[in-house]
Amino acid sequence: MSAATEASTQVPDVHEHHESIWGKALYKFRRDRTGMLGLGIVLVYFVAALGVWFGIWGTEWSDVEGPKWGAMSAEHWFGTNIIGQDIFQRSLYSTKTAFEIGLIVAVLSTLLGALLGALAGFFSGTWIDAIILWLKGVLDSIPFYLFVAAVAFALKGNPWAMHVAMVSTFWTTTGRLVRGEVIKLRNFEFVEASRAIGVPQVTIIFRHIVPNTFHILLVQATIVFVAAIKSEVILSFLGLGVQDGVSWGLMISESTMEVLAGFFNNFAWASIFLFVLVMAFNMFSDALQDALDPKKVAES
Amino acid sequence: MSARDEQPLLSVRNLVIEFTTRYGPVRAVDGISFDVYPNETLGIVGESGCGKTVTGLSLLRLIPSPPGRIVRGEILLQGRDLTRLSEDEMQILRGDEISMIFQEPMTALNPVLTVGTQMVDVLTRHRKLTRKQARVVAIDMLSKVGIPVPNKRIDEYPHEMSGGMRQRVMIAMALSCSPKLLIADEPTTALDVTTQAQVLEQIVKLQDEFHMAVILITHDLGVVAETCQRALVMYCGEVMEVADIESLFERPRHPYSRGLLDSIPKLREEKLAELPIIPGMVPDLMHLPPGCRFGDRCSRATDECRLQRPQLDTSATLRNAVACFRPLD
Amino acid sequence: MDVVKYAIRKLVGGIPLILGVTFVSFLLMVYFGPDLTFEMLGKNPTPEQIAEVRKELGYDRPFLVRYSQYLKELATLDFGLSDSTGEPVSSMLIRSIPISLALVTPGFILGNLLGVLLALVAAYHRSGWIDKAIMGFSVVGMSISFLIVIIAFQILLSSSYGLNLFPVRGWNVHSLYDYVMYVTVPTLASVFVALGYNTRFYRAVIVEEMTRDHVRTARAFGIRPGKLLYKHILKNSAIPIITRIMFSIPLVIVSGSLLIESYFGIPGVGKVTFDAITTGDQPVLKAVVGLTAVLFVITLLVTDILYRAVDPRVSLK
Repeated sequence: MSAATEASTQVPDVHEHHESIWGKALYKFRRDRTGMLGLGIVLVYFVAALGVWFGIWGTEWSDVEGPKWGAMSAEHWFGTNIIGQDIFQRSLYSTKTAFEIGLIVAVLSTLLGALLGALAGFFSGTWIDAIILWLKGVLDSIPFYLFVAAVAFALKGNPWAMHVAMVSTFWTTTGRLVRGEVIKLRNFEFVEASRAIGVPQVTIIFRHIVPNTFHILLVQATIVFVAAIKSEVILSFLGLGVQDGVSWGLMISESTMEVLAGFFNNFAWASIFLFVLVMAFNMFSDALQDALDPKKVAES
Repeated sequence: MSARDEQPLLSVRNLVIEFTTRYGPVRAVDGISFDVYPNETLGIVGESGCGKTVTGLSLLRLIPSPPGRIVRGEILLQGRDLTRLSEDEMQILRGDEISMIFQEPMTALNPVLTVGTQMVDVLTRHRKLTRKQARVVAIDMLSKVGIPVPNKRIDEYPHEMSGGMRQRVMIAMALSCSPKLLIADEPTTALDVTTQAQVLEQIVKLQDEFHMAVILITHDLGVVAETCQRALVMYCGEVMEVADIESLFERPRHPYSRGLLDSIPKLREEKLAELPIIPGMVPDLMHLPPGCRFGDRCSRATDECRLQRPQLDTSATLRNAVACFRPLD
Repeated sequence: MDVVKYAIRKLVGGIPLILGVTFVSFLLMVYFGPDLTFEMLGKNPTPEQIAEVRKELGYDRPFLVRYSQYLKELATLDFGLSDSTGEPVSSMLIRSIPISLALVTPGFILGNLLGVLLALVAAYHRSGWIDKAIMGFSVVGMSISFLIVIIAFQILLSSSYGLNLFPVRGWNVHSLYDYVMYVTVPTLASVFVALGYNTRFYRAVIVEEMTRDHVRTARAFGIRPGKLLYKHILKNSAIPIITRIMFSIPLVIVSGSLLIESYFGIPGVGKVTFDAITTGDQPVLKAVVGLTAVLFVITLLVTDILYRAVDPRVSLK
């Protein structure tokens, strides 16, 4: 009887307005001022990084031509460091380093996490799942810095050691989330239906299930980006980070002795550049997460 | 069952409840009025979104306060206006003079506390009892709602019970302080048909025993027919009709009520080609017509209907009234 | 008895994990790690000298033998002598672990306590300006690198450019006063950063619990807000919060202390590890990694049991 009460009063409208999760998200995101601000700042940094990449600016980062610990001046906007390098140039160049690390680690670890998470989730309960979970457990239990050190040793000081180590450990959270989602999705009827008409499992996993995890992947990628940049700082301090070129992490670790002697430029500017980018990215990441969350209604 | 010249236990007059949404303010309830008499069961029936649950919640001032609020109106409980009480005073009233039970027994109880703890909490809140004394009362209540071995069950956790049993626990809890009014919001919707019947039976029996009034909120006309003496039909935040059960089901006066009743599949003499439906769709609460909200779906609508909002005609008191310029009688 | 049986079962289940961690770390650090042979020998070593040193360092034995030797060391907690200082590794650990604990504990407790308190305040005033302020502060805390915070606090509090109240580095603790002096700056730094992450997470958990149906039911029965908060919201939030706190323990002790100790020159486990990394001191590294793995598994186990104690829905099966 109850169904009749409902059905009797509603005739489906032929021109139903479909709201996909992405359409809604875009709408919500555009209205989130903090998120838009964050995105804006990130884009500015990105352009800066591109400029360095193409050699348009930031090219004099290693030139040793200024005075030792020169003050901020018209010639050296942020002053110079202990061996006379221009801090502004170095800060600018580090934008490229940061984006490199961030993007590479974010993309690769997200891909790895998606792949392993999907496999573990889809074959949940079998040995495939067990192995992947075990792998995750192992990687999660090794203290991060020790792991990086170990990888650095193993790869005999290869500059990509840091990236390898980061990707190997940062995929686990993404993997866990994807696995959970895939397990949920696996029980949906559309999967059973696909199986019933003989669609091969691999296709089901990658064409049907994984695309439904993209919102998770996107948010996780932004989180990993931030984590990668922040980790680089500490790794560089420990001597395990960036080996060639310069990064904010290297600048900060260079500055540790300087600050006690009263020379703050190196420290201050590297910190500010880093902080603003990370903060902006966090704001962007938060807004993205809120926008993609079906339960949250945007504030009016 | 209820004397014709009794005073109502609860009187709601011109209640308006508004919610702020990202699209602007929306009135989930737009000027409703009704009475509830002692010892009667009043059904509030309507489809999802018509405002019946919001109405129920508002009686206990449980509307989440951003984003919702009571804009105006009165809720008179034996003369006391509940909209004017402080939150502290409301807290004293809730569970004591007015109790409410909800739709999802699964989630309505705290999973990490035993059933007994939750019931005793309610009893000690409203009555000067020690926890031991309260426990005794609680066990007694559990047996009243038909739960076997109540002295064992009382120490169980909600997840150890079936849906029907959890709902009975809720009922026991709700009745433990002998409220004057029980508001039951879709109490059986989440249950299977057999359990549904049992729980409803329980409510009816207890209502008698405890001499209380019951407001039964539901979208299921069958439930209303079985348990209520009177019912009010809501649509788009307004009351369309209020009548006693026989009148409503045999001689509905509002075209909407008529439409609802017609669409119930029933055993008929001749087979129909199609199940009757009410054409059109429920209007968007952001874009309401100036006149009768049922206007563009009503076969009897005139220009007057479309331009003027019909009010509940209270000439014959609010026991039986209809909000329509062209009722079916 | 049930609990003990369960614990044993879980511990045994954790063995593959311990094996995995030790295997991977052993592989990376020890097998591919720096070859200290030549460090110990000096110039122009003869082949015999090389062979002798290698034998001494254990490099000549096959992989699996070295690995099982490692596992034995782990089980007996005897890790031999440090390559760089010659001191028995176990005594190094015994000496340094209490220092690390003394260093890290106040920050850990404060960080979580304050985190929960701030989260409660933020959740209570949800969407209000207090909430936004607290959340804003959290994002800032999350966005500043720990290293930056450490350096900044050092400048502000310990150096002559700032308040110059606290010692710059070191750990010369002979009294409670000394303890407070040396532990304050590191503690402030870690609390500042931890608060950012903690508050956000705890707020999310609390808000989630606040909006649950059973809280509405309790309200509908007139339960007072204070009791509501405690019995219905906090108790239910406890589960995810405790889980997170427990899981952060291994992380805080090892990774957290690594940075603070190496920066402030505090001779705890972190500094020992840091030195071992830079000098390639295998016995020490082996010990630290192995013990961390065991610590992690034990934490997992304890968390699991705690979980079951607090949440009656989960059974000891």
